[in-house]
Amino acid sequence: MKQLLTQLALVLVSIAAAIVLIMLGLYACGYPAHRILTLWAGGAIATRFDIAVSLKIACPLMLTGLAAGIAFRCGVINIGAEGQSLIGALAAAAFATAVAPSLPSSVAIPLALLAAILAGAAWAAIAALLDRYRGVPVVLSTILLNFIALQCVKIMLEGPTGPLKDPLTGVPQSRLLPAAYHLPLLPPATGMSSLHIGIFVALAAALIAWLIQSRTTFGFELRVTGLNPTAARLAGIPVAARQLSVMLLSGGLAGLAGAIQLLGITHILGISQPGIGYAGIAVALLGRLHPAGIILAALFFGMLDNGATNVEISRYGLPHDTADIVKGIIVLCILVGAAYISRHGIIAKER
Amino acid sequence: MPSFSDASSLILWQAATSATPLVLAGYGELVAQRAGVINVGIEGVMLMGAICAFAAATLTGSAAAGLLAAAAVGLLIAALFAAVTTWCRADQVVTGTAINLLAAGASATLYTMLRDHPAATNGEAPFFDRITIPLVDGIPLIGHALANQYALSYVVAFAGLLLWYLLRRTRLGLVITALGDAPDAADAAGIRVRWWRTACVLFAGLCAGLAGSFLSIMALHGFTINMTDGRGFLVLALVIFGRWSLPGLVLGTLLFGILDGVQTTLASMPGATTHFPPSLFAMLPYAATLIALAMLTRSSAGPVHMGRPWPAE
Amino acid sequence: MLQLSNITKRFGPLTALDAVSLRLDPASVHGLLGENGAGKSTLMNILFGLLRPDSGSITIHGQPVAIRSPRIAQSLGIGMVHQHFKLVPTLTVAENFSLSLHAPLRQIKARAAVWQSQLQWQLPLDTRIDRLSVGQQQRVEIIKALLATDCGTAFPGGGPPGGSPVPQRTLIFDEPTAVLTPQETAELFAAIGRLRDGGAAIIFISHKLAEVQKICDTVTILRRGRHIHSGPAGGITPAAMTQMMVGEAVESPTLNRSSNASLGTLFPSLPPALQLSNLSAGILKNASLTLHRGEILGIAGVDGNGQSDLIQAIIGGIPITSGQLSIAGIDATRAPIRWRIDRLAYVAEDRQTQAMILPLSIRDNLLLKEYRKEPFSTLGWLRFAAWRSHSSDLIRQFDVRCNSIADAAGQLSGGNQQKMVLARELHDAAKPLVIAANPTRGLDVGATAFVMRQLLAARARGAGVLLIHNDLDELLAISDRVLVLYSGTLTDSGTGIQPVAPPSKESIGHLMLGLPPDSPSAHGAA
Repeated sequence: MKQLLTQLALVLVSIAAAIVLIMLGLYACGYPAHRILTLWAGGAIATRFDIAVSLKIACPLMLTGLAAGIAFRCGVINIGAEGQSLIGALAAAAFATAVAPSLPSSVAIPLALLAAILAGAAWAAIAALLDRYRGVPVVLSTILLNFIALQCVKIMLEGPTGPLKDPLTGVPQSRLLPAAYHLPLLPPATGMSSLHIGIFVALAAALIAWLIQSRTTFGFELRVTGLNPTAARLAGIPVAARQLSVMLLSGGLAGLAGAIQLLGITHILGISQPGIGYAGIAVALLGRLHPAGIILAALFFGMLDNGATNVEISRYGLPHDTADIVKGIIVLCILVGAAYISRHGIIAKER
Repeated sequence: MPSFSDASSLILWQAATSATPLVLAGYGELVAQRAGVINVGIEGVMLMGAICAFAAATLTGSAAAGLLAAAAVGLLIAALFAAVTTWCRADQVVTGTAINLLAAGASATLYTMLRDHPAATNGEAPFFDRITIPLVDGIPLIGHALANQYALSYVVAFAGLLLWYLLRRTRLGLVITALGDAPDAADAAGIRVRWWRTACVLFAGLCAGLAGSFLSIMALHGFTINMTDGRGFLVLALVIFGRWSLPGLVLGTLLFGILDGVQTTLASMPGATTHFPPSLFAMLPYAATLIALAMLTRSSAGPVHMGRPWPAE
Repeated sequence: MLQLSNITKRFGPLTALDAVSLRLDPASVHGLLGENGAGKSTLMNILFGLLRPDSGSITIHGQPVAIRSPRIAQSLGIGMVHQHFKLVPTLTVAENFSLSLHAPLRQIKARAAVWQSQLQWQLPLDTRIDRLSVGQQQRVEIIKALLATDCGTAFPGGGPPGGSPVPQRTLIFDEPTAVLTPQETAELFAAIGRLRDGGAAIIFISHKLAEVQKICDTVTILRRGRHIHSGPAGGITPAAMTQMMVGEAVESPTLNRSSNASLGTLFPSLPPALQLSNLSAGILKNASLTLHRGEILGIAGVDGNGQSDLIQAIIGGIPITSGQLSIAGIDATRAPIRWRIDRLAYVAEDRQTQAMILPLSIRDNLLLKEYRKEPFSTLGWLRFAAWRSHSSDLIRQFDVRCNSIADAAGQLSGGNQQKMVLARELHDAAKPLVIAANPTRGLDVGATAFVMRQLLAARARGAGVLLIHNDLDELLAISDRVLVLYSGTLTDSGTGIQPVAPPSKESIGHLMLGLPPDSPSAHGAA
């Protein structure tokens, strides 16, 4: 219980610190910070519509957050969620527009999501195998693969040679996904009909992640491998296999995130980077690597982004990217706070 | 069709230009990594260096102010990074990623705010131009490349020699090796590990900031969102590819620059983009780097304690 | 003459030193004994300038001195040879000297050469540290300390050290023999003797009582921060020293050799616990041995001669390149780790790296090898109730002192950590094979005795115990037979399974260096 309270305090203090800092910055640049803050919060949660949009934005972040979280807990630094989500989206787009465009929704969507999961996992596997067999650090290979993934998407979409490119426009983008591949929205009775069912997919994923992590031998082994691979091995745990499994799971979740983004929000594959991979790392840290925390953290980030859009279209015209600044500050505060807690804890126990 | 020697000369000239920011940032990252600190946030620092140089040059009308601004912001971010990782002992990779996130948001925000600023819309911002060394220009093949670079490129080249001397032949080199390979031994020898590591990180920030300025107020004449486009990460790869040695870094970067030049030339050849997607060429350097890393033998020649906080406690 | 008077040091509520006094005469070797936590390290850290005392004083030749930093300590002639070497492995010997002493390479090489000739050593100054043997690395540490204390003795041009009138050179040796063979220890003692004859005062910290008796002129014993005794080393027996260190008489477990035969012959119908036939793995070459049920087979040798390869080959951590391995009569050459750990108990040397997960709870650590089995999990689903009861039983049985099994294992003291590991490994009486590697490393006398008793108990109930240990005295105390590992090769020390007097320590020492057991004692160069 004490652990939980400490972590909660850490999160709240970090968020508060970030808000204070950003407000100071805004004042310094001559903006009326308090009004902007109101607009921000209002844009995030004022009406049910706003909440629905916040959730909608949060949905892919939940998945990339889970992807980063599961990897970090097992000692694997997977920064490749960005590339893995792009490849997942690419696979889903390819499936939807080129492979089987005329399937009915009940079959189409699960298959497209499956294709994305497999593609994301495969992309992550490249980094894992390079590390296992050629000693290339995962940190480096995942970063390079992020760029290569983006270029793969561009290759597929740039005319005149791009196989997935929409022939009717000059812009490098895919065809609009067939209607069957659009994620169904929530019924109007809930008042959140701008939100798609992908949210349930994300919540289910979090639940499954939590169960595996805390209640299965597999999850136990993952945790042990992350904390001490040598001891894990001598306890009979196949460390290399588990680390590979973690990368596959992580990549699969990231791929799923990309597909949800595509099928639920954009409906067209383009060449802009959504940034959900890197944001997922921040979400995982804010959520303290626990699935429940990650869900909440993703929701918070969704509210941040939603509110930022509101501020952008208001008369203050503050660019959307200020949300990224807030996220960055929050993460730094968490890092400092967490390091302080663990050091303080250690000192306390040794006496 | 240009002749082969003309094309080669052009590629070399291009390579020297594109290699400059990479090598410069590489100096800093090399020193930091050898001292035991891996700075994944180098991308963010370069980006912030670029925007701050551009902003300062635009607002003050002086390109030199841009250089100073880039240096200052590089040092500032490095100080923050050092405080969080060396003094608070947080994880270096995650902190670096957070810095990248922060820099992406901050640079885009600053750029947007700048566009609306009155000073920015008056005509061109000041930039540095290339300088030409007359005699050297005549040398076949490499002359054009050697003689027509930005002043900063020549500074970087000489700085490299100086840095090599310092690392190999002076006590500084011994200290940095000790910091990365055996910080406990360094501590026992009276070396204040954290202060020295902080100094190395500050140096890395300075280099990265200036490297960023090279992009915005020298080579590319302006700022675009996300203009570093992964160069910082490339530097990370190149430091490792060069096995944490200065000659290795420079050689690897030049090779990469040449490859990049070849890629651009190929892409600009008539008919190239109709038969091949342009991004295929763009992808080549990254894919080549990855393959090159994969082909290196497995021995981990890196500083033993890189990435670990000290004291380990 | 150096005098520490009434030194007191507190860390929060803990009193590490309570009015401790120590007197050091020039040209003498002074032993400092005590358990972990007795205050030896704290006292030496104060002497070496790493800590400041809360009260008390230090005087040299009657003049009070304030030692605020190691640099000042060195200027006063006080140097420390650390137990864990403070050397940069990727730099050369000379570069390490240059780094510590802020002196240019050429000058430092000349000064080092003078010391080398004094001590009759021949260290290659331009070789990287990671290419030197452990014994050589220690010599580098010693010369480093000597050079550092030269600086303080006002020889600006690097004039002749040692022998000239020097304001008291004091050298602290912290557990120096832990990593040395008997021959290297003898050479170290010879060097210490030369330094003492040159006028230095030496403080010798060790827990090896026999050595302290041999080399030290006087000895001081600390217990729980208090000074218990100081006096000539010759007059006290090891048993008396132990009693003063621990506060009570501790019976050091030894094998009762007067019983008729080793129990190995009492279980003839059971297959041997372990059998190796021409086994090669890593640097281990053609190793053969048979470990019977009910016996302790000791493997002597200096760390680095193939011990970890031997252990890892048996456990399954490294692949076997040729030869055969069988556990309890079943061929295990290709068996996976999981199969092996069901049949063997492994008490690791490096428990924090190999045997424990520090941030994980005690309960989870205790289940680390059995979580896959019923009743602790069913078809991959964990059953925590069973974990709790099992763990509680174990910590009671093995006297592991902790607040709750939910605490992190890292919060336990070293001795309790080892007890926890023993609980996990040894509670299953059915396991035929026990492998113990330096199991008493870092443990105090009480915990050491506990471990040895557990190993003897395992032997008594019919397990075969393979004890790989670098402490020859402890090894000889409880082993039925001893083999020696040198450079990857196992040699018989010449004893069989019959109860004979323990093999001579000296002959084993020769084998540990690769020499024939009956060589005349040799003093080798570095």
